[in-house]
Amino acid sequence: MPEPARATSSGPGRVLIAVYGVFALSATARALVQIATKFHEAPLAFLLSLVAGIVYILATIGLNGRGPGARRLAWAAVGFELAGVLIVGTLTVLDAADFPDDTVWSVYGRGYGFVPLVLPFIGLWWLRHTRAR
Amino acid sequence: MIDALEILVLVATGALAVFGVVLTILNRPPDRTMRLAVGAVEVLLVVQAAIAAVRVFSGTALPETQTFLIYLVVSVCVLPIATQFATAEPTRWGGTVIAVGAIATAVAVWRLQGLWLAGA
Repeated sequence: MPEPARATSSGPGRVLIAVYGVFALSATARALVQIATKFHEAPLAFLLSLVAGIVYILATIGLNGRGPGARRLAWAAVGFELAGVLIVGTLTVLDAADFPDDTVWSVYGRGYGFVPLVLPFIGLWWLRHTRAR
Repeated sequence: MIDALEILVLVATGALAVFGVVLTILNRPPDRTMRLAVGAVEVLLVVQAAIAAVRVFSGTALPETQTFLIYLVVSVCVLPIATQFATAEPTRWGGTVIAVGAIATAVAVWRLQGLWLAGA
């Protein structure tokens, strides 16, 4: 008999959501301040910061929600996050000139203790761990 | 800001984080003692934020006032939200959720101090 999906927002999942919530808040707030005060200095980096912040918000909502819709949202957001940190991380390692100002994903999240690199892997593992089977 | 108070806040948030993780290890949900500990740390944070806000609005010039004030709000708000979320489902993991909030708060206080020193 197939086992239904378990809530991603239960047990250790709550710790994951707390970390995602912190990143959603800090990345979004930082990007908004950067865009409001010095957008012309590095528009690409600041827009990227904002995208990252929104992705963290969506991941937090998806992981905290219940049902297949929330789970799909979480998969998409955490998957995008993994691609984002890997692509932006690699680009910033290869050529720092194109990203004059730090984003949350620069150099694989070095400015944030590399948590942005580890987080999506844990997120994907948790989604897989709690899925229906 | 006040150096002594800032150090006290950092020590208190650090101790709170350790307390939270210990509760998880002991397999206990956040209890009354944890609520009191969160309350005590929150009082320190509010006092610190009030002093800093008064100084900023009474003319202390900072290079990034806007950013400073946002961090100030964050430093006060994160812990109550984390505690609410931690106790909504009373499991062993609540302690670690509070620890995450405490560490995020400590980082915000650390950044506050950096922004304050940049203006001094």
